[in-house]
Amino acid sequence: MIIEKSSTWKDNFLERLENDGPWDRFTLYQMNAEVQKSKLITEFSGLQAPKFLKDLNILDHQLEVAQTVIEEMHGKAILADEVGLGKTIEAGLVLKEYLIRGLVKKALILVPASLLKQWVDELNKKFYIPAIGYKKKVAIDQYDVVVMSMDTAKKSPHREQIIEQDYDMIIIDEAHKLKNHKTQIYEFVQSIKKKFCLLLTATPIQNDIFEIFYLVSLLKPGHLGNYEAFQTAFSAKKRSFEQEEFLKELVNKVMIRNRRNDTGFDWTSRQVETFQIDFTEEERQVYDMLCELKNISSVFSGSFSMITLQKEMCSSKEATYLTLEKMKQKVVNPEEVAYIDEIINKLAALQINAKAEKTYEIVQNAGDDKVIIFTEYRSTQAYLQWYLHTKGITSVLFNGKFSKNKKDWMQQLFKDRAQVLIATESGGEGINLQFCHHVINYDLPWNPMKLEQRIGRVHRLGQEHDVQIYNLAIKNTIEDNILNLLNDKINVFEKVVGELDDILTKRA
Amino acid sequence: MYAQQIHQYLESFFRETDCEILKNQPNFLSVQLTNDIDKKIMNRPFYWQYIEATGGEPNPSQITLITNRDALDEGIWGEVIHFGSPRLNQIFKANHELGSMVKMYENVEDYNLVPWLGMNYKISYQCDRTKEMIFSYGINLVTGTIEDNFHDRLMGVELVEDMPRTVFCLPIIVKPKRAMERLEESIERIIQQDDHSWAEEARTRWKKEIHVLDYFYEDEKEKPERYEIEVKAIEERYTPRIKMEIVSGGLFYLK
Repeated sequence: MIIEKSSTWKDNFLERLENDGPWDRFTLYQMNAEVQKSKLITEFSGLQAPKFLKDLNILDHQLEVAQTVIEEMHGKAILADEVGLGKTIEAGLVLKEYLIRGLVKKALILVPASLLKQWVDELNKKFYIPAIGYKKKVAIDQYDVVVMSMDTAKKSPHREQIIEQDYDMIIIDEAHKLKNHKTQIYEFVQSIKKKFCLLLTATPIQNDIFEIFYLVSLLKPGHLGNYEAFQTAFSAKKRSFEQEEFLKELVNKVMIRNRRNDTGFDWTSRQVETFQIDFTEEERQVYDMLCELKNISSVFSGSFSMITLQKEMCSSKEATYLTLEKMKQKVVNPEEVAYIDEIINKLAALQINAKAEKTYEIVQNAGDDKVIIFTEYRSTQAYLQWYLHTKGITSVLFNGKFSKNKKDWMQQLFKDRAQVLIATESGGEGINLQFCHHVINYDLPWNPMKLEQRIGRVHRLGQEHDVQIYNLAIKNTIEDNILNLLNDKINVFEKVVGELDDILTKRA
Repeated sequence: MYAQQIHQYLESFFRETDCEILKNQPNFLSVQLTNDIDKKIMNRPFYWQYIEATGGEPNPSQITLITNRDALDEGIWGEVIHFGSPRLNQIFKANHELGSMVKMYENVEDYNLVPWLGMNYKISYQCDRTKEMIFSYGINLVTGTIEDNFHDRLMGVELVEDMPRTVFCLPIIVKPKRAMERLEESIERIIQQDDHSWAEEARTRWKKEIHVLDYFYEDEKEKPERYEIEVKAIEERYTPRIKMEIVSGGLFYLK
């Protein structure tokens, strides 16, 4: 094998011999030899990073992940720990190890914009990795470790600049954002060279099995076969148990997932309750009328708008009204308009929201404990705040689009002043609410991982109580279908990725 | 290196580089840097550029390095230093620059001293993993004899920078350039005989991954650009390489 050498030292030494100096001090010479010895990496295996990170409290499962990624997965992996187990620490450890070993000189970290600052801070303060956050006018060729938001990276001229940099390592946080292979960001990540690559996501499958196929194919094209082969083998109808086991085994060669229970910590448990609520008679009447709309006017024949209205009706009249009013504008036929007006009148006349009453009951039963309510709709959010206020319950609103400052502020207000936090989405990236252990899912999303992420805000390291989860669904409505679908999706996830903590009550 | 070793190391480093130690307590050190050391370890090239351009009066930094966190409780303000801290790394780097080439004499009386070229090499094996070794060799510049563990031998000898008055130094017969080649040849022989299953294993992984990749694109007649990029990434990850780096060396006159 060829041995790479450089002649700089030799030339320099010969020159000094010629001129008889200048010579270095022998003490410094000896010290240098000692330093070199103490920094020597004497083994292929094992981790060097921990001895450079004495102030960092690294947990056992995190060390194990870093070692497995480097020694068994050869630096390409999906880190899929459950929320709250420290995927960032694991990724930082792997990066640090490669930097120390000289295998990585330049690294790029792609993250959602809301997490950029946090990543830069952690890399610098916890790992002593001089990372910079990309802003306009930063000359990225001047820096070895750059943290950039995904949205910036995928656009010109940034994408071209990135490709030019020839990074040795790419880390992508919240990698489930790459589940769709037709998106610009997927295509971009596919096109950059990935000598070493980590994809971080707690939810490698959100909806269907193809998401894991695309994620793995980004990391290691061919590992799960090509698209045709995969489709033939794993499309929903033909799947057999043996195939699922086989797929799980393959996936586990490129993916590590720790569950809370594996970590040796005393995790509190989850109690999930699903309440199936009856509409009031008046609500039921409006719901049925809404369902009839598709037979009455062509404007409502699209299944998407129907589903939206049905879901909204299960949430609040306020949410329903806004959509209905908007769609009414498109209706021309006076008879159809009259029908809609009738619905609107009935909506306006509704006095009781059955779900909100149940919510109030739960909040009341929680005594002095804090409660988080998640809803899908802004108008429901406002309604609930008003409704709880009439019952003498204080609440703060939360929304994923809030700036980091406002999020911190709301989190603090919730902690100090209010009993209830009403949030429109997990928005959760970056908020930690361990001081609360009641979560009401007022509306159910289609995607079980969204539920998992909501719960993860509360059920994380530092939670001292069992976490109570209340899922609310209205009987004999679209929410029955949503519950079924959520169960199916959870099944796929568990078969391919591994078990999940309880999200829904187990199906009988 | 433990905290105490680091403290001792820093103390020697600053003493040897002529930086005045203002305070030396068990948990921390305060030091007045010289211009030269400031340039090497303080990361302020623009300041020094400015001073040199304007001919201004340089004002090298005074720093306090905390080697044990207890000092913080005592209300000491300074930079905490530990094995992984960037500042210590810079000091190591400066040490490397300032302590890599020497000429020394054994401190004896009435002897003929023989010139030796002593060299310390760092050998790295690299694929997707790494392993490093240090080799220390000396070559007798009169007879051409080679000795290993040369650095350890030096550590057992009292050495001085100036030639003792009552010794005679034999002239160099083997040209230093040729001597270096001879040393490298003998290290190369040792490397060739070493166990290189690591490289074989890396090549096996390499082949396997290319195979998997080819399968992914087997139906495509024209392979897309990203295929080539992936091939290159796999190559960079697994290509086994051996690097030889000279850490330090010197001319030693020994009895």
